[in-house]
Amino acid sequence: MAVFDTPQEAFGALRPVCVQLTRAQTMENVARLQAHLAAVSTSALQELQEYVLFPLRFALKVPGPKQERLVQSVVRCISSVLAVTCVKKRELLQELFSELCTCLSPPSSSSKPAARSEELKLAVIQALHTLMHSTYGDVILSLYQPSTLPLLGFAVSLLLGLAEQEKAKQIKISALKCLQVLVLQCDCQGHRHLDEDEAQQCGDLFASFLPGISITLSRVITGDIKQGHKPTVSAIRLFYLIVGLVMADTQLARIPKNKEKLPVEQSRISELMVHRGPDWSKSTAEKLSLLLHKMVEFSSVHPHWKVRLELVELVHHLLRNCSQSLVGSFSHLLKALVGLVNDENSEVQSRCNEVLQGIAEQRVVTQNRALADVLSENLHSLATALPRLMNSQDDTGKVSTLSLLLGYLKLLGPKINIVLNSISHLHRLSKALMQVLELDVTDVKIVEDRRWGCESTCGPSGSLQHAMLKGRCQKKYFRFFTEEKVFQLLQQVCRVLGYYGNLYLLVDHFMGLYSESGMYRKQAAMALNELIAGAAGLGVDVLQEREVSPNMDDLKGSIMSILDEYTDQANWYLITSIDTEEIIHEPSVQHSGLSAHPGGTCSSVLLPSAEPHVTTHIMNSNIWQICIQLEGVGCFAAVLGKEFRLLLLSALYPVLEKAGDKTLLISETALGTLVDICEACGYDSVQCLINENSDYLVNGISLNLRQLAHQPHASQVLDMMLRHSDASLLPLVEDVIQDVLSTLDQSYNNQTSTFLRVLHSVMTALVQWFGSSCGEEHQQRQTAEWRSRTLSQGQQVVTRQEVEQFFLDYVRQKQIAEGNLPDTGNEEADEIPPLAKPEPNSDTEGETPLPSHAQLAKDVMERCIHLLSDGNLRVRLKVLDVLELCVTVLHPHGNHLLPMAHRVWPALVTRLISDDPLAVLRAFKVLCTLAQKCGDFLRQRFSKDVLPKLTSSLLSQAPASARAGPVYSHTLAFKLQLAVLEGLGSLCEKLDMGENDLNKVADACLIYLSAKQPTKLQEAAQSVFLHLMHVDPDSTWLLLNEVCCPHQYEPPHISLRPVKLSGMGRQRNEFTDNVLLLLERLKQQESAPPWAGAQEASPP
Amino acid sequence: MALPPPDPQFVLRGTGAAVHTLHFSCGNQEPDVPILFSGSENGFIHVWNLKTHRVDKTLDGHGGSSVYCVETMGGKNRLLSQGRDQRICLWDLAEGRTSVTNSVFTENVGFCRCALLKVAQGRWLMAMAAKAPEEVQVLELPSKTSVCTLKPEVGAKLGMPMCLKLWQHNCDSQPLLLAGYEDGSVVLWNLSMGKALSQLACHQEPVMSLDFDSEKEKGISGSSEKVLSIWSLNEQQNLQVYKTQKLVNAGISDITIRPDKKILATAGWDHRIRIFGWKKLKPLAVLDYHTATVHCVSFSDHRNPCERLLAAGSKDHRISIWSIYTQT
Repeated sequence: MAVFDTPQEAFGALRPVCVQLTRAQTMENVARLQAHLAAVSTSALQELQEYVLFPLRFALKVPGPKQERLVQSVVRCISSVLAVTCVKKRELLQELFSELCTCLSPPSSSSKPAARSEELKLAVIQALHTLMHSTYGDVILSLYQPSTLPLLGFAVSLLLGLAEQEKAKQIKISALKCLQVLVLQCDCQGHRHLDEDEAQQCGDLFASFLPGISITLSRVITGDIKQGHKPTVSAIRLFYLIVGLVMADTQLARIPKNKEKLPVEQSRISELMVHRGPDWSKSTAEKLSLLLHKMVEFSSVHPHWKVRLELVELVHHLLRNCSQSLVGSFSHLLKALVGLVNDENSEVQSRCNEVLQGIAEQRVVTQNRALADVLSENLHSLATALPRLMNSQDDTGKVSTLSLLLGYLKLLGPKINIVLNSISHLHRLSKALMQVLELDVTDVKIVEDRRWGCESTCGPSGSLQHAMLKGRCQKKYFRFFTEEKVFQLLQQVCRVLGYYGNLYLLVDHFMGLYSESGMYRKQAAMALNELIAGAAGLGVDVLQEREVSPNMDDLKGSIMSILDEYTDQANWYLITSIDTEEIIHEPSVQHSGLSAHPGGTCSSVLLPSAEPHVTTHIMNSNIWQICIQLEGVGCFAAVLGKEFRLLLLSALYPVLEKAGDKTLLISETALGTLVDICEACGYDSVQCLINENSDYLVNGISLNLRQLAHQPHASQVLDMMLRHSDASLLPLVEDVIQDVLSTLDQSYNNQTSTFLRVLHSVMTALVQWFGSSCGEEHQQRQTAEWRSRTLSQGQQVVTRQEVEQFFLDYVRQKQIAEGNLPDTGNEEADEIPPLAKPEPNSDTEGETPLPSHAQLAKDVMERCIHLLSDGNLRVRLKVLDVLELCVTVLHPHGNHLLPMAHRVWPALVTRLISDDPLAVLRAFKVLCTLAQKCGDFLRQRFSKDVLPKLTSSLLSQAPASARAGPVYSHTLAFKLQLAVLEGLGSLCEKLDMGENDLNKVADACLIYLSAKQPTKLQEAAQSVFLHLMHVDPDSTWLLLNEVCCPHQYEPPHISLRPVKLSGMGRQRNEFTDNVLLLLERLKQQESAPPWAGAQEASPP
Repeated sequence: MALPPPDPQFVLRGTGAAVHTLHFSCGNQEPDVPILFSGSENGFIHVWNLKTHRVDKTLDGHGGSSVYCVETMGGKNRLLSQGRDQRICLWDLAEGRTSVTNSVFTENVGFCRCALLKVAQGRWLMAMAAKAPEEVQVLELPSKTSVCTLKPEVGAKLGMPMCLKLWQHNCDSQPLLLAGYEDGSVVLWNLSMGKALSQLACHQEPVMSLDFDSEKEKGISGSSEKVLSIWSLNEQQNLQVYKTQKLVNAGISDITIRPDKKILATAGWDHRIRIFGWKKLKPLAVLDYHTATVHCVSFSDHRNPCERLLAAGSKDHRISIWSIYTQT
């Protein structure tokens, strides 16, 4: 609404108001002027600037006490004029400047700042701010002459006083802003850029204020946190701007040696001037260093993130401008900067990273030896304090300490080698790492967790996958910290070392630590793994690229030497359990002596714990050491990629050995390592890896089998190979299994259980690879039979004729069975056991060669025969398992199976009738499997050799168990009864036993249906009857009804005699419950019973 | 107490048949990997890479009949192989080629391995059993021109030649041939005159293998008996028995003196490899690994003594690699 566009018009309008104001200085008049000003255009006002300002300045200058509110409104009015016009005269600037400052000056008598209202202070500060902004470049420089020094000094001290002592946040902030403008460091755009000379001149001037400004600001910065973050932020900014200006390296470099003489008339002023010579800058830097230290300490932990962000800026600014003059402060500044890398606020973090990146990129450190020295000194003292800090600090403290360490290393970058080349530095640093990385080995669970793989071999592949995934990141437990972040930082520390450092030097040093003492071994291995990863640039986060990356051959050389050390016997075969099976052979490793090079060096094998007493801690520690070494192998593979394939020759075997270890943690880790190797070497799966390198493995196995001490390991490897591979492996494996068998033949006494495990896995693998062909076919046949049987039963519609026919047939059959028919002569051959009967074509069939897997099964079965009577129950159980698998594989080759079965039989019978219940149970299982194939062959033998003993023992034990109390279920006799009862039913079914034998079984089991028997035995007996129902439902029905008959059966025709069963009408007795239950089941099973149903249809 | 005998450093599997002959080629400079050639009963020649311990190449040139001699002719790229198909093949293996460039039809049905001697750059002498039962024929390779035919005197009844060794005192002197015969005698032949210089009855049984040390002018031979015979050549070029060495088990199928003439290895029918000192024939070690007759032993010609190896091929389809006495 510029009403008055031309100066003339404006003058006309403003004149009366101005005149009036000059006459009477009242608030109303000021307000009127203000109102009129609003209607004047900017250009017109510029013309009339001095005219308008005159009455206002006059109002300020009038002597005598003034109303505070009047002054305030005058000041506001002045600033509104200045806001839209610019000051073009030096005199005006200086006069206005001093007049405004005077408004706040204390009465001349007291030194205390006048008690002015806050509004006034604010108005004055803003007016000054506006004044500085409305002045053009050249004009404003007139304020920065030695002659105006007192005036400036006055303003500075005034503003500083306000900034420090005022309570109102607004005033503080404005004062600081205003000061910032005053030292020509305003944030806003549009200021003229000072050229070098001008800047130098200003620097000289401001140097006089530096002590005052810096001390006051530091007080503001470290002041009460309640003042809020904004004043602190402004103060920090101002601090670094002014320090950065005055102490700028570029300016100080240009300062002449001696102070130049100013003209005489200015001698008083020249006393105020400071000469920024070397002495001055040195002492100032020292003083600033103290202030900086205090400020940094305070603000680096300031709760508000903006303060911390500003601190980052401070470091950045000072490092950029004063890296030489303030070198003494950088140890604090860098510490703060590096520490803030892990600030909780992401903005601070990212800015901090940017700054660090910038520092690194500009090679501030690499080009500044002094700074590198500062850093390495810091590093040294930190490394010295590290173990103590790790011991005493909480986790957050540890994180910040370690990120500090990491930050130093990153900043040093390629200069790390200066540190590493100093023995004391390297020593300190590595020792600190060793101590911090100490693992917690008190967990007993790690030792206890066992892999019972043998029992659940080739279990669901899901669990294997799970184990593999798990194995890749085993969580370690450290003595001094629990936080995962701490470990990650330590990892990074090692990697950064590896990235920049001299690899040979580092590997050598840490290998020295590795072999120096068992205490450091695990930590050193961990460090070595990370060093190598870092050297290859894997997972390392750095600020600047290194100049030269190590070539593949160097890496490979280092890795090979580390691998050799890791897989050395003394470091690889450690006692991890006190399992009797293993420990017997473990110490013999010592004697085996490496004799691969009789003329060469025989490495002295010293087991770290040769004494027989091994504590859980030692075992736990050993387990971890192996795991760490395994992880190392995985890491090396990742580093070398496809190149690692060449090392598989020596590395794969040990890893697989550990994959078969019984300690869960080790085997999981090893599986993880295998996955790593797969990925690194470009194999699709672990199976691929093993298949394609099976020649290396087989070689290792066959060579290790030759040494007694290594046989268990070799068998573990074979076990793992078989588990993770497929049939394509067979030709190679076959070769080595023959080795295993021949080794077994030489040492039946000591290594049996070891080899049985291998045989078990071999047979499991064979069943898995080839078993489906034989097993399925058999099962199909069986199910088909079963189906046809049930089908025929279901479809049967019973008529009376059929009932009649049934009886006729039955009578005829019975007569035949009793031998009443004349033509019995032909049947005599049946009496001869099937085996004894010479098969007409057995010769020709025997000549056809067995497939190799079946031949293997046969060979294994041969060994089983010898081992079946081993003294150790566990061995016997295992043998029975293996035997069952052998039978499964040999199924399709009856000609070979039957002779073997014949040879196995005597030993098996012994297991069945006079062994531990567990063995009896397993033997039954074997028997059942055998029965599927050679039922005929077994039936007779079973009923002759085994059944009588079993039934008689059942019968004789029954009274005892019926009488027994609750403790009985823990006795061996009970277990035996249970085992027999549980196995007998299915066996009868499988062997398709004759009626006579079935009756024997039924008789023996019937007493166990008594309610007096222990419940478990009752249930087992029920199961026998359930099986009998499948074989012969009718006779079972009859037998049960003889004991107890719930129904009356009316004959369908009067010509038939009434049915009389001995169980009818009996009193309820001990058998009733179980029998009724079984009859119910029988009824369900025979949903359409052939003839009982017809009868049952009639009762109501 | 003496150290227990070592284990093999590695065992090469996968020939798929009994191994009859082995030959190292490790003399080349670094980027070239050391190589072992093996010839087996199924007629294949396998080229083993001794860095990866795997077969690099498989050569099939004898139509499935047993290969019982493999030699290189200066470097690993030219190979000579002799098979039971009565052929001697010359191979060109350079730049990945696997072709037979030339072949000689021997017309001999025996097991006698041919012998090779370099006489000049690119010129070789090869001795082989000829068509007539008792004769040995010497050819020049690669031209295949016959140099001479060595025929025993009428009525000598030496039987078939069993093993041959061509040698010369030094580069300029006359090439000589040592031949072991079926009747157990070793004969020294002069090639230029085509006549026997000396004859020595070393064994009662056929000579299975012999090797000769031209520096010490001393040789060793083995037969199917329980004895090794060591003989020397005196100034009059006469062979004379120097010593005999008793063995525990009968039957030696191959004898090789290590190129440095310090030790020698024998391949035994008792599945064992035996190592003797060459000077006094002191038994040094019995290497027991194979599960069947060992057919051949061979020492490598690696430049670096530490990496020199011993290889043995056996009827059990395996080739065992040993690192023994490399420091001595």
